[in-house]
Amino acid sequence: MTGEKERPASLPGAAAPPVSLPFAQEFNAGSLYALRSAVGAHAAAAGLGRHRVYDVTTAAHELAANAVRHGAGHGSLRLWAQGAYLCCAVADDGPAENGDGPAAPGGRARATDGAAWPVVHGHGLWIVGEIADDVRVDRGHAGTIITARFAIHPDGDGR
Amino acid sequence: MDASAQVTELSAADHACLTFGEAEELFDLTAAFVRDGLVAGLKVVWVSDAAPAQAIAELGNRGIAVRRAMEAGQMAAAGCEGRLLSGQEFRAEAAVGWLSGELASSREQGFPGLRVAVDMSWALRPVAGIEELPRFEEGIAAASTGSTASVLCQYDRERFDPVTLASVAGFHTRSVAAATYHADALLRICRQYAPPGIRLAGELDFQAAEPLARALSEAVRLDGDVTVNMTTLAFIDARCTMMVADAVRTIASAERPVTLRCSPEIGKGFVRLGLDGLRGIRLVTADDR
Repeated sequence: MTGEKERPASLPGAAAPPVSLPFAQEFNAGSLYALRSAVGAHAAAAGLGRHRVYDVTTAAHELAANAVRHGAGHGSLRLWAQGAYLCCAVADDGPAENGDGPAAPGGRARATDGAAWPVVHGHGLWIVGEIADDVRVDRGHAGTIITARFAIHPDGDGR
Repeated sequence: MDASAQVTELSAADHACLTFGEAEELFDLTAAFVRDGLVAGLKVVWVSDAAPAQAIAELGNRGIAVRRAMEAGQMAAAGCEGRLLSGQEFRAEAAVGWLSGELASSREQGFPGLRVAVDMSWALRPVAGIEELPRFEEGIAAASTGSTASVLCQYDRERFDPVTLASVAGFHTRSVAAATYHADALLRICRQYAPPGIRLAGELDFQAAEPLARALSEAVRLDGDVTVNMTTLAFIDARCTMMVADAVRTIASAERPVTLRCSPEIGKGFVRLGLDGLRGIRLVTADDR
């Protein structure tokens, strides 16, 4: 595993509308399998190698599972390609758990309000931080949006 | 018929009905039946629907020293032609006669007993005389009662209709199937018998944490080496990866190694948790796609 990955100064696309390959799907606990299946298909169509497709699918699942288990119990996922990246954003509009909202990938990612987010080694959001090229957390009154980006390496898996 | 039994509990005079849902399960249960027979010094015969060479290879892949046993005359893998069938014709009397001949032959060769596994998938093909199937099972029951033979009749539960299965069930002393912790269209968690451990197939996420925990807790109690077979697992999430990793860390030692078999993608998850290279843990990633 590589060293610390810094979040770029700006992460185009995290808050902007998708510009290509838009895919959006609502999810809840009962539809996570369908969500993974769709994300995998779209990631492959975007040109990612097989191992990276699995990583994107894992990240999408963990972000969605986080919303299901610790957030509203449901949410929505968007997937789009932008430049050399595939972006995966999961929105959870549910009530914040313990007043802090769902856990988010910390260490490398920071919420836009500057607060560090608790991440437990080996847990879902720690995995997302490990496998994504960068992760951004946007918190607002309407809920939380976590966006993970993956560099597209058509001929390899990038790591 | 008795309550269901584990394949490892079968003994002489048992006439067991094994039902399986997939080839992997059939080969696993058969390998355990063959392994225990060979260890006990019995003559072992597997009448397989697969080509004998493939059947032998499947047993070998599961750690059974089948070639050595075949060279020593202790093991035979054969097709059903000339044993259960003559051409495309089935006669119960002739098939039971073949089994009785095998039992007599094993005695003459000095073996203390005989184990015969019979894949019944041939009965799904258009075979003349198939209506004699219940008579065949009745004859096997009579031949094995009080004998040193144990017979394992293997039925694909997905392909045999319930009426046929019901018509032959009463002639068996035991029913055998893999211990299953979870089975639905997406995921199967079951015990693996040869080599011992558990098998995870399909897609595994936190929603199946409870049956996974039960399977892992049973794996912890198994004697000897343990295998976690994930070769047909397509997805595992962080929670379940952590559960498997924690259980493996608990089980593994230099004296009691644990083998994890999985795809390279899933293997990366265990490497990420630091499992690779730990004492007693073997991570085998195979690209079978």
